Amino acid sequence: MAPDHGSFGLGALICALMLICPAASIRPISDAHRSAALELFVPVDGLFPSLEETYHALRTFLILGVGETSEINRATCPVVLEKLKSPSSSPKGFYDALRVNSILGCQIGSETLEDVASQLRDLIKGADSLMDFYYSVIGLLHVKGQGVSAVLSDAQGVFHSIKALSQSDGRWRFDSNNAESSTHAAGIALEALAGVVSLADGEVDQSKIGIVKHDIVKLFDSIKSYDDGTLYFHEKHIDGSEYEGPLATTASVVRGVASFAAVVSGKLNIPGDKIFGIAKFLLTIGVPGISKDFFNQIDSLSYIENNRISIPLILSLPSTVLSLTTKDQLKVEVTTVFGSAAPPLTVNLVQTSTSEVKNTPTVENQELQFDQENNIHYLDIVPLKIDIGKYTLKFEISLHDPENLNIYATGGRMQYLVFLTGYVKVDNPQIGVLDTDGESSASLVKLDFSKLDKVSLVANHLQKMRLSFQLVTPLGHTFKPHQVYIKLRHEGRVEHIFQLESSARQYKIQLDFLALLEQIYYLSGRYEIELAIGDAAMENSFLHILGHIDLTLPDPPEKVSRPPPQSVDRYSRFGPKQEILHIFRTPEKRPPKELSFTFLGFTLLPLGGFLIGLLTLGVNLKGFPSSSLPALSSILFHAGIAATLLLYGLFWLKFDLFTTLKLLGLLGVFLVFTGHRTLSYLASTSTKTKTN
Amino acid sequence: MAKPFPTLAIPLFLLSVVSLLSLRCGAFSADRPTDRRLLVLVDDLAIRSSHSLYFSTLQSRGYDLDFKLADDPSLALSRYGQYLYDGLLLFSPSVQRFGGSLDLAGILDFVDAGHDLILAADSSASDLIREIATECGVDFDEAISFQDPAALVIDHTSYAVSETEGDHTLIASDIFIESTTILGDEKIEAPVLFRGIGHSLNAANSLVLKVLSASPAAYSANPATKLSSPPSLTGSAISLVSIVQARNNARVLITGSLDMFSNRFLKSGVQKAGSSIKNEKSGNQQFLTEISKWVFHERGHLKAINVRHHKVGETNEPSIYRINDDLEYSVEIYEWSGSSWKPYVVDDVQVQFYMMSPYVLKTLSTDKKGLYSTSFKVPDVYGVFQFKVEYERLGYTSLSLSKQIPVRPFRHNEYERFITTAFPYYGASFSTMAAFFIFTVVYLYNK
Repeated sequence: MAPDHGSFGLGALICALMLICPAASIRPISDAHRSAALELFVPVDGLFPSLEETYHALRTFLILGVGETSEINRATCPVVLEKLKSPSSSPKGFYDALRVNSILGCQIGSETLEDVASQLRDLIKGADSLMDFYYSVIGLLHVKGQGVSAVLSDAQGVFHSIKALSQSDGRWRFDSNNAESSTHAAGIALEALAGVVSLADGEVDQSKIGIVKHDIVKLFDSIKSYDDGTLYFHEKHIDGSEYEGPLATTASVVRGVASFAAVVSGKLNIPGDKIFGIAKFLLTIGVPGISKDFFNQIDSLSYIENNRISIPLILSLPSTVLSLTTKDQLKVEVTTVFGSAAPPLTVNLVQTSTSEVKNTPTVENQELQFDQENNIHYLDIVPLKIDIGKYTLKFEISLHDPENLNIYATGGRMQYLVFLTGYVKVDNPQIGVLDTDGESSASLVKLDFSKLDKVSLVANHLQKMRLSFQLVTPLGHTFKPHQVYIKLRHEGRVEHIFQLESSARQYKIQLDFLALLEQIYYLSGRYEIELAIGDAAMENSFLHILGHIDLTLPDPPEKVSRPPPQSVDRYSRFGPKQEILHIFRTPEKRPPKELSFTFLGFTLLPLGGFLIGLLTLGVNLKGFPSSSLPALSSILFHAGIAATLLLYGLFWLKFDLFTTLKLLGLLGVFLVFTGHRTLSYLASTSTKTKTN
Repeated sequence: MAKPFPTLAIPLFLLSVVSLLSLRCGAFSADRPTDRRLLVLVDDLAIRSSHSLYFSTLQSRGYDLDFKLADDPSLALSRYGQYLYDGLLLFSPSVQRFGGSLDLAGILDFVDAGHDLILAADSSASDLIREIATECGVDFDEAISFQDPAALVIDHTSYAVSETEGDHTLIASDIFIESTTILGDEKIEAPVLFRGIGHSLNAANSLVLKVLSASPAAYSANPATKLSSPPSLTGSAISLVSIVQARNNARVLITGSLDMFSNRFLKSGVQKAGSSIKNEKSGNQQFLTEISKWVFHERGHLKAINVRHHKVGETNEPSIYRINDDLEYSVEIYEWSGSSWKPYVVDDVQVQFYMMSPYVLKTLSTDKKGLYSTSFKVPDVYGVFQFKVEYERLGYTSLSLSKQIPVRPFRHNEYERFITTAFPYYGASFSTMAAFFIFTVVYLYNK
């Protein structure tokens, strides 16, 4: 079985919109609707996107009595006229144009209307689907409404053709080829049938009307309901675009049934409660935000307001929160769905009950006084001696004129949830630390919430903290609020909540820290004490920081649970970070330049000494070869050595190792040859001298 | 190598189809981060009517709203690997199971792919909705039992004064997060109306933030029944509306009240208990509009382009730096304004020169036109470094840029060559060499 999600969801939605389903308070159509209508239907240069929307807007404005139509009139009438004169208009085209015209009253010649009427009559003859019948018949009805004769000659036949599409369960089919029956179609069909009856030149067969009346009763058997007596029509989800929500379906049925009831003689056998339930449904929706829904709601409510079956009277409470401090009156309004005055009646407060406090005297059968001027029934609550709290009030309406019983539906007993609020006195609040024996009450401190004094307590795990107070209602009873707890907060982080229990007319809590050691994780330190007392009926609900208590607790044993992790700081990652500068390695300390140069001088001194030594020794170069060839090789050899030493110099100055080694290699080879020549020459000359 | 064409042609064809699709839909892209197509999942299409003001503000800002029942069997977020929507609004608190192939994992994948989510629950919140919230780091207060509807947030000190609603579950809260990026430049004057279930933030999740909190006196309980044990959620631990910005910059909004989006709340006047100020209109419209701008990336979306670095005095980006080089780093940062990229001007963008830990962390200076630059000396440590910009600010998408760059030590010939301190050694060497030269001559030719 596929669950009917649509209706379930709507139920949830309505529950969400209203506070508590069983005692939902409904209000008649008010100014909120009027201002919403003007916001929803906004013409652009007097024009709406389509004629259908124009009708929705105009009809809504008409019912609510708002909106300026002259500009719409000026802009839309040409469109209407064009549509009516166009030979190619569909039944829907005529229908839309005619119903817009029925509100605007454009200047349309009677010939045009007669022409349209004859075209519509032709369309009716050729029609085979429900929508075609509907558009044509209603179109013709609007022509008649303009004062042009638009009699349907074959009313019996048309009535029969439309009736032929009905199903045994009271629903209708859209056309004969489509087996799917629809509640939405039933509403359309009934409206069409009502049209046929009023267009007929003679009487329509009463037996046929009787059958339709019976169908309507069966249709109402399929009505769906919520727990609180709200009734509505809803279709199973049909594929495709034909799906209409509960609001559109209900509106369609309401229109159909109300129009049918208006034209036939005799009364339809529908209980007033059902009409009441539907009205309740339509009002529960509140202010729809979609123009079509808005139109459906307002239009169907206007049918309900004026229907011949029974007119629902809505009992509503302008205020369900009544303060005993300001001596509010219990006020009840009884109006029709559009807020117009009801016939003379009396409202009775049948019963007052509360689930919270058993011993409160429940009020029974109080008649509310009537304020003619403001059309309000009222009752002073103070003389009733009802204490603050949440009450379910049951009301009953009794109409003065017994004839009205058949005209109006009052919905029987109605329940409302009412809050009586007042000022609750906190008496004798005391806080203190007790020793284990619980006797030494000397340390109990009286608290004064009106002052900013904070207590500061000191305790160890062998002691107890005690807090007690009394709560007294304006009538002197003990009050038990919904919210009453104390919070101990350890250094702003770990929180512990303790509910306060009431006993013997007072609230008392005794925190035995020895027993709580595990629960508070053996955390010593400062705990802030917060007391929260609040209730819906309490006008002075509060949250006070009473002060703090310094706890000295033993060290936790090993296997004790740790306090829960505290939530991470979510904001720490936002915001710039501290700048970081790299600290470079400091260069090694060097001696001053002067010192280096001094030592450079010192290193050069031995060279000087060496030269001076040579000069003192009286060296000579007499051994230098005198013949040309050995002299050349000697010069080259020493030039080579000098070049090698110079190369070392260059290596220091700019060359790298590779260049140096390359050049050194070349010089080396050169030196080997020249050195060999020079040294061998020197050797031969020295042997010569020896032999000589 | 027989038929190279068909294998090539198919991806090409797909590519062109995809690009056509994305062109047609004006899809989410890096250049235009604002969402366009939103899927609204509802329990009942009547929400379209009862919440129409909120939807029409979205539509008037250019969003394409697609309403579907949450159990619609044709439900799908993606087709052929392409997401059909940029954002998802879950206005279906009581849905037990989504229609079609959509499930919890599907929703999470959608967010993981960088798409945005608005989740609104109420007291009828199903396990599925609660699970989605839990995955986002938010724990809704649990229902105690099936018969007992979920606990509502009750606040006896900062409720909205109402003639018809006396149980103080209609909260008027004005404890907002302090961020103009999230809530707009204009201060929200009127309190925001809230009725629904409270939630707490997962202690281990650092990405989720409270946007609207309950007052310290609030608690979460069922107003119709007497409290048998202390409430599990109390005080400021209760979050009414929370946001998450995931690491991939997907944004999520979670609230325990579907009603706060309704026309009734949007239009309703509000007077907070204990305050004499009667606001003509609740703050809901402004709050929800502004926060939806944030969620759908109309605000607070940054992009960084043209990350450049080079040696001082040069313009080309080197492939390697030497220690102790002086370098310049610059990046351009722009903020999406909903329609165009505007220069982002602040003074707290920082760059890190990072290897295992930051060696240099420096605030960039701005030219007020979106360009941020700075210069610094490469540290005297060699290795593979990164230029890192980790920019996380409340309400902004996070920027995480990193560019790898190696740093080498001095080459052998890059050291100092003529050190004065060494001159005595040089002097000694060269004087020895000169003496050697003289000695060779003298030794060989002396007679």
